[in-house]
Amino acid sequence: MLRQILTRNHNQIKAIAEAWFSSGANYFGVLENETPLFEFRTRSTGDIELTQQLLRAPIDSNVRVEVRLPGLVISGAQTRLSAEANLIAQVIRLSTNLEGLTAELIDTQDQLLAIYNLTQGTRHYIDIEKLLKQLAKETAELVRADSAFVVLEMPGQSYFVEHYPEKMLDDRYLDLAYRSARQTGHPYLSSEELRTKALVNFLLVPIRILDEPSAALGFTKKTGDFMSPDMKLAQALAEHSGAQIENVLLYKKNLDQMKLQTELELAHQVQLNLLPRKPPHINGLDLWAASRPALQVGGDFFDFQQKKGHPLSFAVGDISGKGLPAALLMSMTRTAIRSKANDTPSPSPGDIVSEVNEELYDDFTDVNMFATVFVGQYNHRHLIYANAGHSPVIYRPVRGEARLLEADGTALGVLPTSFSQDHELTFQPGDLLVVGTDGLNETQNEKQEMFGYDRLLDLVNTVSDFPAQEIGQALYQAVTSFGAGEPQFDDQTLMVIKGI
Amino acid sequence: MDLQSKSIDNIKVLTLTGRFDALTSPKVQSWLEDVSKNQPAQIVVNLSGVNFIDSTALSTLVAGMKRARQAGGDLRLCKLQQPVRMIIELTRLDKAFEIFPGEEETVQSFSAS
Repeated sequence: MLRQILTRNHNQIKAIAEAWFSSGANYFGVLENETPLFEFRTRSTGDIELTQQLLRAPIDSNVRVEVRLPGLVISGAQTRLSAEANLIAQVIRLSTNLEGLTAELIDTQDQLLAIYNLTQGTRHYIDIEKLLKQLAKETAELVRADSAFVVLEMPGQSYFVEHYPEKMLDDRYLDLAYRSARQTGHPYLSSEELRTKALVNFLLVPIRILDEPSAALGFTKKTGDFMSPDMKLAQALAEHSGAQIENVLLYKKNLDQMKLQTELELAHQVQLNLLPRKPPHINGLDLWAASRPALQVGGDFFDFQQKKGHPLSFAVGDISGKGLPAALLMSMTRTAIRSKANDTPSPSPGDIVSEVNEELYDDFTDVNMFATVFVGQYNHRHLIYANAGHSPVIYRPVRGEARLLEADGTALGVLPTSFSQDHELTFQPGDLLVVGTDGLNETQNEKQEMFGYDRLLDLVNTVSDFPAQEIGQALYQAVTSFGAGEPQFDDQTLMVIKGI
Repeated sequence: MDLQSKSIDNIKVLTLTGRFDALTSPKVQSWLEDVSKNQPAQIVVNLSGVNFIDSTALSTLVAGMKRARQAGGDLRLCKLQQPVRMIIELTRLDKAFEIFPGEEETVQSFSAS
């Protein structure tokens, strides 16, 4: 070290030596203990004359300068040499400081570079687990810890932890540190006692995510303490990590919302495009139907179909499920029913239900869903229907009370074989059939009471004299005001068939 | 909704309390998947504490029942409250499930079959 410093200042030392030679000296040396680090001699040096004067001056406790002067004693020579020794000592001191500063500068630059890498390296992550891994890796290097870990709480779950390069702190101590830091909002530094138990020194800095204390950055060291600069750096890194985590979480939230929105729109499109815009005109019947999709689209559908040579067929169905899968299964079910109804000769509703169940049973099983359906046919005052687990279906004869027509078979997709049979009603003027979906009777008010079947039956009795459309609208109106202020959770579909 | 499970011999009993709907169904679904993962599951779902059930919850039970039966087991229901019984009867799921008044007889029904 000393030799290196002196070597770098070789020219200056040589200048001092030459100044002594011009004053008659024949030797100038810098010695560490008794070992010369530098020696300069005049050419005539060889045999040391006995009369020569030896001057020495200390640079520090181990190092000195030495000058040999033959013959004459120059006055002030010792003072001069001492001053020069001080000068060299000063140069050594300054050089040492400079080296220290340079080393620190390089360190700081390394850290800045690592921080830059951290920012660059983490800004592209959209996967939260990858981000946490990267943060642990980069911050471990920055704090020069043996390991780093990032703790993050996820809504509705406990927290999870990413370690780098591996887990070095037992979960018990990590949990203790995290809970404490989370509560106080201050960094947690392991006590002497805990250090002994955990076999590592650890530091944990809490991180606020979206203004909630729900994450932390932690470090472990097998040897050595976390000093004040480490703590400051750790805190700065924790803040940076918090911002990165927030970004990813917000991005993910937006992405999820966008996915949900796209799915909703698709499901709405599927549903709206498949529902008939207008019921057909049938002699002897007044028909009306509508469907109000919930915000998160369910799988309700209704359909009318009249093909030449076939009776009017109609269907109302409800897929047990929400979103795009329910909407797609709804379209499959509707298409299957339509296609069976078009067969020649016309199969009865019971046959249609049975065949569609067989055809779609595996599909329903694969997606864990089922579909309640009510399928009917009308032909010259005769109405035949099959009910596979569907409700509410309300029948009100012109002279009588409204009552529920209960299903005799399970919904499509529940059992491999359908139990639904054909049932027949004579359908005279004034007779009324209202087929809804459970989104109507399950509508809730603010007390979480359901609209229920009794209210529906009473209402059908009250409005039975109205035309089909007004009956439907009155029912919607009643359900809407009952559930006022509460979100609509399920599709609400209504088909009204009235004999005229 | 609260889920409590126990095993009696090889029979898994799940007791539910609260609203059984689209929000709470996933918990039941994952429990059902867990117990029927490695063996033909014999499952009893005790609905004594459930006063509300919606169609998502029903399809969770149906899916559990179908999976159990495919593997040679079954999922049976007991202690239905009136509102739940009404929904299950209206959708004719009483034809699909074996339903018992009490838990003990449901458990015993497995050894009888």
